Amino acid sequence: MPEETSSALKAGTKLELAKEIKLPTIVLAADADPAGARLFAACFDGVVYEVNAATGEHRALGRHDSYASGVCFMPGTEILLSAGYDGKLCWIDPANARTVRTVQAHQFWSWQMDVSPNQEFVASCTGQYLAGGYKYEPAKGNEPGVKIFDAKTGAQIRAWEQLPPVLSLAWSPDSKFLAAASMMGEIKVWDVVANKLVSNWTTPDFTSWGIIKSHHYIGGIYDLAFSPDGDELFACGMGPMSDPMAGNGHQLWQRFDWKEKKKTGQIKDDERGNGLMETLRFHPSNSAFVMAGRLAQGKWNAAIFGTAGSLIHSIDNKMRVTDSVFLGRGDRLLLAGGTSQEPRKDGKCPDFGRLQIYALKS
Amino acid sequence: MKTELKYGEGACRTEDHDVHRRLFLKGLGTAGLSSLMSWSGLFSFSAFAQAAKKEGKHCILLWLCGAPSQFETWDPKPESIYGGPFKSIRTKIPGVHFSELMPRCASIADKLAVVRSMRTKPNEHLQAIDLLCRGNPTREPFVRPTLGSVLAQQLGHLENPVPNFILLDPCPEGNEFKEFKAGNWAGWLGAEYGPVRVGGEYKISDAQRLADLTTQDAEEREALRRFLTKKYENDRSSAAAASHNAIFSRVKGLMSSAHLFDLDKLPARDREKYGPGNFGMHTLLARQLVENGAPFVMVANGMSWDCHVYQHEIYQMLVPEVDRIIYHLITDLEERGLLDKTLVVMMGEFGRTPWLNAARGRDHFSEAWSLSMAGCGIKKGVVVGATDPDGARVIEKPFNEQNLFATIFSALGLDPYAEYNVPDIPTFYRVENKAEPIREILS
Repeated sequence: MPEETSSALKAGTKLELAKEIKLPTIVLAADADPAGARLFAACFDGVVYEVNAATGEHRALGRHDSYASGVCFMPGTEILLSAGYDGKLCWIDPANARTVRTVQAHQFWSWQMDVSPNQEFVASCTGQYLAGGYKYEPAKGNEPGVKIFDAKTGAQIRAWEQLPPVLSLAWSPDSKFLAAASMMGEIKVWDVVANKLVSNWTTPDFTSWGIIKSHHYIGGIYDLAFSPDGDELFACGMGPMSDPMAGNGHQLWQRFDWKEKKKTGQIKDDERGNGLMETLRFHPSNSAFVMAGRLAQGKWNAAIFGTAGSLIHSIDNKMRVTDSVFLGRGDRLLLAGGTSQEPRKDGKCPDFGRLQIYALKS
Repeated sequence: MKTELKYGEGACRTEDHDVHRRLFLKGLGTAGLSSLMSWSGLFSFSAFAQAAKKEGKHCILLWLCGAPSQFETWDPKPESIYGGPFKSIRTKIPGVHFSELMPRCASIADKLAVVRSMRTKPNEHLQAIDLLCRGNPTREPFVRPTLGSVLAQQLGHLENPVPNFILLDPCPEGNEFKEFKAGNWAGWLGAEYGPVRVGGEYKISDAQRLADLTTQDAEEREALRRFLTKKYENDRSSAAAASHNAIFSRVKGLMSSAHLFDLDKLPARDREKYGPGNFGMHTLLARQLVENGAPFVMVANGMSWDCHVYQHEIYQMLVPEVDRIIYHLITDLEERGLLDKTLVVMMGEFGRTPWLNAARGRDHFSEAWSLSMAGCGIKKGVVVGATDPDGARVIEKPFNEQNLFATIFSALGLDPYAEYNVPDIPTFYRVENKAEPIREILS
């Protein structure tokens, strides 16, 4: 969260690369302390790193038994939450680089994990895509797709069904509602306190069924974000492809009036290229948001949009972006991800994890 | 004799042929068109082949087209930085691990033979599919028959009511595989050894005899057809015409065995075991067809294993499905007493790179990959060959497509080095260069 009130982004704002930090393996999720001085990265090698934003020095804080896929810093308690493809949630004390609690949240991967803005709850989503029909429709899951835990004690307090895999989730700004979205484009919103499903709809625009090469489903909503006023829900991913192995569906965000289950806008046709978008985050000023991912064809893989939906600025940073964080007061943007893995050179696998810090300049 | 015939000239245009076209889709028809040189019957049948025929041997090829990753199947490397998110699990073979996505195969590893050291050359689909389906490099302009065509000729009978070479593939598209499917499968053996391709629909409703046609009428019609087609063949003294008529015989065979393609007639429990995805349902169909005498059935499903993007997101679904299918197929064949005379081969055209690309996919990799076999002529519970800790290269007992085909033919009791006796063209052998079979997995 920003320490001070941030300024609204103006037309003409640009991203300028200020620093690039390499990590051993690709970063699947990132977070930062309120000042943006300490960065946290969940990586392919299962390690949760603390990274000095100024020097790039990093150290391991914790480790998962498979890919680490989520990380959230809780400034109030100085505790770091991490999640992994081992289905575990870990409470980490960064000061001592010690895991103080581990909860087996799921039988399958934690696709995404997020802490509520009031830092009371931890939500995590899961689900394995298994064939459930002749056309490879996803089979019903054998565990709840969404779970909520008490951020202080680790106790499970909610478990909700959703057709797997459930890829992404988001907290409303007031921490009252949790939204989750799946590969099939199903979006559910729950009232956390009332333990009640309050909205449920499906958008077909993020999901592919292989017309050529492969008769199965692929894609889905890779990130969600409530608008700052909590009235709208933004989703990002990639448009449908006829060849699911091409990875060239169009870059896509859509926004919805979630109470009315109605789409209220989406990325403009002339502002998009092709490639999977994996992260969407609002600027602390609430005047803009960033969407980023991988570029398959087109001009950019990371772009800033005004809340009205127009593209303000875009870049191609030549990497796959998996997560984004506005640092400090929002004058810097962290793009996390990685490049292609390469064969060993002199016995060592070249570092392919990347943290890039951009300055937002008017 | 090399007489080039255009198939359309003088070809029959009967209603029956219209049925044929509807049934066989592109595969068979194109095989006929492109088999410009047909020397059917010129292949010398050895004592091996006669014995194999007599014993009623079969082969099911689970063609994992697109090229499956060895890491998420038979040769996991969980300790490597390239290993991916999935762990490995113990198998019935002490010290041998499979991917955690294959628990059922792990439980029957003592019935399988796994080759972890395949090393081939082509790194693109079309060339690799061609090579791994024919077993030897192409020598233009001569078209070597695919494995299915050779086995259809060697293990099948033209009078067999069940087609001798059945390709089950529901995906009409498929890029390079589509291109291959439109090519010449039977090569110099002639179109009668090409595949009957059935896809998408299990029931072959067009092949049912009309309800108001009496048995006597049907037999009389068939006698007339036989007379006219033999006359057509004799008048032209043409091998291509003979091929044409042989194809028609196979159509007729298919019509008489159409009920075998109806999965609704199989027990619901079997459909649940293999399904619900179409690859599983077609594998069940393969089991049914083999039980009813089909010598060779190839089951494919487009090119779903070609995961240049979302490797792990798709393999979380694909591998558990194939794990379940293989388990049930091997177990069912064994329970039915068919495994000892049915060779099951599970493979694609190459493997996948250890290193992940930026789209989190694995790319093509022919340097070091794995396949698996079970059943007829194959030793049980064997793993042969090895790759380095990253799976980047073969470090023990490399094998190529010729070794593989020598193994398949040997396992089925066929002479791997039999010579194709084709006039006016160079000498060809079933497996060239006297390539050794993979003796470690032959029983």
